[in-house]
Amino acid sequence: MISDNAKKQIDSWIAKYPQGKQSSAVMEALKVVQAENNNQLNHDLIQAVADYLDMPGIAAAEVATFYENYNHKPVGKHIIRFCHNISCMLTGADDLISHLETKLGVKTGEVTKDGLISVKKVECLGACVGAPMFQIGDQYYENLTTDKVDEIVDGLK
Amino acid sequence: MNEVCFKNIDKDQCWSLANYEATGGYSVWRKILKGEYTPEQIIAELKTSGLRGRGGAGFPTGLKWSFMPRNAPGQKYIVCNSDEGEPGTCKDRDILRFNPHAVIEGMAIGSFVMNATVGYNYIRGEFIEPFNRFEGALKEAYEAGLLGKDINDSGIDFDLYSHLGAGAYICGEETALLESIEGKKGQPRFKPPFPANVGLFGKPTTINNTESFASVPDIMLNGGQWFADLGVENSGGTKLFSVSGHVTSPANFEVSMGMPFKELLELAGGMRNGAKLKAVIPGGSSTPVLTAEVAMAMTMDYDGIDKAGSMLGAGSVIIMDDSTCMVEALTRLAHFYYDESCGQCTPCREGTGWLYRVLKRIMDGKGKADDIDLLLGVQEKIMGNTICALGDAAAMPVESFLRNFREEFEYYIEHGKSMVKG
Amino acid sequence: MIVEIEIDGKLINANTGEMVIAVTDREGISVPRFCYHKKLSISASCRMCLVDVEGAPKPQPACSTPVAEGMKIHTQNEKAIASQKAVMEFLLINHPLDCPICDQGGECELQDVAIEYGSDVSRFSEGKRIVAPSDIGPLIQTDMTRCIHCTRCVRFGSEIAGIMEMGATGRGEELKIEPFLAEGITSELSGNMIDVCPVGALTSKPFRYELRSWQMSSVENIARHDLVGSNLYAQTYKGNVKRVVSGDNDAVNETWISDRDRFSYEGLTHENRLLFPQIKVEGQWKEVEWDVALDFAIKGLNNNILNSRNLAKLGGLASNTATIEELHLMQKLLREMGCENIDHRLNVKDLNNTMHLKSTIKLIELESVDHALVIGANLRLEQPMINHRLRKAQLSGANITTLNVKDFDFNYKVDSHITSPNEIANTLAGVLKTLIDKTKQEFPEYLSDVIPSEHSVTLANNLLEANNSVLILGEHLINNAQASSISNLTAEIAKLTNSSTLNLTATANSLGAQQVNFMPNSQGMNANEMLDADMRAFILLDIYPEYDFHHSAAALNALSSDDVFVISLNSFGSELVSQYSDVMLPMAAMFETSGTHMNINGKAQSFRASVGAPGEAKPAWKILKVLADLLELPSFHYENSTQVMSEVAHQSIQTHEYDASIDLSKQTVTLETIWMHSPYQSDVLLRHAKSLNASQIGQMNTASMSVTTAQSLSLNNKDTYLGVPVEIDSIMADQCVFVNSNQATNAGGSQ
Ligand SMILES: Cc1cc2nc3c(=O)[nH]c(=O)nc-3n(C[C@H](O)[C@H](O)[C@H](O)COP(=O)(O)O)c2cc1C
Ligand code: SF4
Ligand code: FES
Repeated sequence: MISDNAKKQIDSWIAKYPQGKQSSAVMEALKVVQAENNNQLNHDLIQAVADYLDMPGIAAAEVATFYENYNHKPVGKHIIRFCHNISCMLTGADDLISHLETKLGVKTGEVTKDGLISVKKVECLGACVGAPMFQIGDQYYENLTTDKVDEIVDGLK
Repeated sequence: MNEVCFKNIDKDQCWSLANYEATGGYSVWRKILKGEYTPEQIIAELKTSGLRGRGGAGFPTGLKWSFMPRNAPGQKYIVCNSDEGEPGTCKDRDILRFNPHAVIEGMAIGSFVMNATVGYNYIRGEFIEPFNRFEGALKEAYEAGLLGKDINDSGIDFDLYSHLGAGAYICGEETALLESIEGKKGQPRFKPPFPANVGLFGKPTTINNTESFASVPDIMLNGGQWFADLGVENSGGTKLFSVSGHVTSPANFEVSMGMPFKELLELAGGMRNGAKLKAVIPGGSSTPVLTAEVAMAMTMDYDGIDKAGSMLGAGSVIIMDDSTCMVEALTRLAHFYYDESCGQCTPCREGTGWLYRVLKRIMDGKGKADDIDLLLGVQEKIMGNTICALGDAAAMPVESFLRNFREEFEYYIEHGKSMVKG
Repeated sequence: MIVEIEIDGKLINANTGEMVIAVTDREGISVPRFCYHKKLSISASCRMCLVDVEGAPKPQPACSTPVAEGMKIHTQNEKAIASQKAVMEFLLINHPLDCPICDQGGECELQDVAIEYGSDVSRFSEGKRIVAPSDIGPLIQTDMTRCIHCTRCVRFGSEIAGIMEMGATGRGEELKIEPFLAEGITSELSGNMIDVCPVGALTSKPFRYELRSWQMSSVENIARHDLVGSNLYAQTYKGNVKRVVSGDNDAVNETWISDRDRFSYEGLTHENRLLFPQIKVEGQWKEVEWDVALDFAIKGLNNNILNSRNLAKLGGLASNTATIEELHLMQKLLREMGCENIDHRLNVKDLNNTMHLKSTIKLIELESVDHALVIGANLRLEQPMINHRLRKAQLSGANITTLNVKDFDFNYKVDSHITSPNEIANTLAGVLKTLIDKTKQEFPEYLSDVIPSEHSVTLANNLLEANNSVLILGEHLINNAQASSISNLTAEIAKLTNSSTLNLTATANSLGAQQVNFMPNSQGMNANEMLDADMRAFILLDIYPEYDFHHSAAALNALSSDDVFVISLNSFGSELVSQYSDVMLPMAAMFETSGTHMNINGKAQSFRASVGAPGEAKPAWKILKVLADLLELPSFHYENSTQVMSEVAHQSIQTHEYDASIDLSKQTVTLETIWMHSPYQSDVLLRHAKSLNASQIGQMNTASMSVTTAQSLSLNNKDTYLGVPVEIDSIMADQCVFVNSNQATNAGGSQ
């Protein structure tokens, strides 16, 4: 269920914590496994992570459902995580989100037909002086305008 | 400007070890390794500096460090809080990106004071670029023999790791953060016991904010008095202010404590499109909102903002011009706390949802005459009754928005639409 | 250290470190609470217990505020009440307030507190949260919309049951208490979650929608399914037990009971209950009046035994779940007639067994041992409450070692040594020899050929290092070919290491049976001998041969013989019982009779009947008394069971002569089968408890064997062994099969 490569990554996290505290690595382990499975977790994957870290399945499930970065429903290959909190709101995030929805033909929370993109409204991403902004993958995109949004989204493959 | 955390910010590759060392970086740590400091000296210097915790609560760092039972047997930990998630706050991200070695050295110095041989920097999960920067700096520091076991034959051990979050504002609360490092949900612990006695993995632990740690090396390098003199009484040093919202050039500014708000606003290029200032949230979403008049008369230090009726918090200054609908702004903040409540304690779990739903209903044009009293009543019932300060943080904006901009709420309820936006 | 504090103006002494709520509880000052539970860790999350502490800026939770010298606390002032009311209001906004249809109605902590602190009109007009119920198995009903997120059930799971099955997923308003696994909750202690849940979110599934709590009366009773004798309350309505909840007795079961004790009552109303006296006339069963049936019984005894004074051909056998009173009257009846063939040890192959090893440790003391050696026991399933005590010891640092045929699932860390039944005696002999070696004393003869294995040396060293160890013999040893040597070796080892012993082979009320000497003296025959002796009559007390006898085929044979007259007192009807009996007398089951049960610590606990017996069934002690009267035996003038008990109360437990020798050369069998009934099949009431048997534990039916054993028997995973599905286990001793089955033994018969 967990690939060797994933195990290697998880092990490198386990090594950071004291002996017997391997469950500290659960957050990263879930991310690693999620990344290998279409950006999505399910019951069996969570159990597999729990087993690998020798913790109860429900404890891993608590973590997987508490934090926002885990997905339990289908998402796009790229997830546009659009901040809609106060600083971004003040600088026009809502209009940009509407623009993006129209452009992609999906509402927030949905996936484009080709499965390429999903849009999600998120709370503050800690880049308020670069508002409005969104995150795709590991990357932040700041000081967005309609043109910039178009350009970035058109470049997604 | 830019004298402490940002002092190298204009340099090319300002985050590199070479750049850091060129301006005295790691010289304090090297002295410690040579046995030239005692923990007491460091604590004394910190106390003189007037450094107060930059994570929001403003607790004097020197005093906090003196609480650690450094001589108690067993493992002790030092933890850096880089979970930055409070709306309006984005300074720690830049410290990690542009001056990661200051955080490492600050934590190393702390580890020596507290006799903690292991440290973790908890970085919010979305901060991949800052995380990579920090990891890069860690690698440099290890390779330079500045971290590890028995560093430079000093007999001092310090291993530092980063831990990544996964999207939960509450993990910024220090005990939720510890739970999270332990691989659990980020639910705050009840206190007592305090982390200084029972912290990470049940061991004594000191937690400070990124900016607090990053300020320590220069305080030690130049002396506590030097730092204190940068600021004003009761608010030593410089502080990073994240100025966002309706300004021409939003940015992080490292300026002396005590700077008049007016000047800070000018630094940010003044109001965007010359609009009129309407309101300011001076310390991040959890701090009370101020009217323009009050804000314009305020100075940017703990006492100055306190006098104005708010809090310095994390130094996150959110500027709102007169096109802002305050009902909409509060609703957005209420949604944030509703979304981020961890859910373990009753007033916060149930109360944040209640606040948000009432505000949402008002926004939907279905407000009722007694909704304002209801909102005030609910926030009062959350206030002070929760395990951690998220409850208070959710309550405070409601009270201050309604106090300062009540007529906008009354208008919205009565007319079913915004007084500002129509 | 003692500190003085002030609560509501009253000066009170308290211990430092104690939480305020513990003090108020002790002083009878009522502070509302939901998440606090005295046996669980503190969570401080419901915030219901907020009180005003002078000098503190905010109200403080009484459950997590440690007392300190001079502290002044107000539990009832304006500030405290305001906080408590605020929390109550928050708790109610999303609560369905469906008290009229909720099973918890009338015993709901939320309802109680709401009446005191809630305001009548909720100002909440937004939509209420609805949480889909999850099916967590046949024992617990969930209505999670009612959940107030106190997490008592979650903490119960991880802290007491020792397996975290329930969790709180999601966050904020979406926080949801649910299990992760599709099979729901599987713990053998799961029903306690019903007791700890303060609201109607977790209720008893078998009890669902039956009644309102205030309609029932609660009667104290004692569980008799194992040798703990857990204290419980049977809640009854119109003569039926409707629900069982835990009692509170720190020396016995604290505040917990096993699922076995909680749900067995369901069997009481099973259609198989024997309701009327019946006699067999010309091979046909006839329901008759009691006097007719009793006359018939006496006549049978006269014809087959008494007229010919052939008392050596009469036997009396009883189930060891019977009460002390029943066992006493039965042996008295037999002995006064002149019969010495008396026994309760039906499940024992070789009567030279483990039973004589004394238990020298109190249940509560198990918590404080620093080392335990568990031999031949799957404690979680077989002795849940004892396992719970040992788990506590382990959590506070004890080292627990097991010597078992298989790596059983313990809910704590054990050091598991897999040992075949044939090696146990030798392993223990090795331990003993190592110990004697260290004291430089001489070995007894039987140890001369023993060469201690590495394994034995480790076990010996563990025992020597410990300050407070216990040796525990489990039920798997009852029929071990070297049972007697094992128990003698254990006693020797205990002596040399100052260890206590706990003998779990004395199941149910067998200590009670020993107290009243329900065993033959030297002139009498034991159970196994009776089966071979061509008897003419039997009196049987609640016996079901397919489950109760080790030699079930032989028993059936002996009882079915044409010229033997069998009087059966039974609580349940059974095909086999009707096949061999001549008269069947319906007797009261557990909960329906008064009596006394003796637990492993020799603690005799008496109980009253919680309900009357159904149909014409009568308490067995009364049936036996009337039989004695009809037989004109002189001293049976009892009016109630208490009088019976007072006759034996002074008697101490009789230990019978036993073989104290240790013989390691005794031929061991090449393939040992350990046959354990599933924990929900271990007595007749349990076997008829529907919901228990539908649970995962109740469905257990496997014959475990190692790969090598399977190969030698030419079996694989799809086959059956003695009628039980084979499960090949990679961590298992060779030369043995471990059967855990919910089927009658005679499905395949044991050797
Ligand atoms: C809801 C909540 C969120 C918080 N978030 C942060 C945060 O993101 N970063 C931070 O440094 N402190 C945060 N804090 C404050 C920390 O609990 C803690 O006081 C701080 O990390 C201590 O460091 P300092 O003394 O250096 O400020 C938060 C507190 C609360 C109640
Ligand atoms: S189900 Fe009951 S015990 Fe469990 S958290 Fe909800 S209210 Fe508490
Ligand atoms: S009982 Fe104290 S907070 Fe729940």
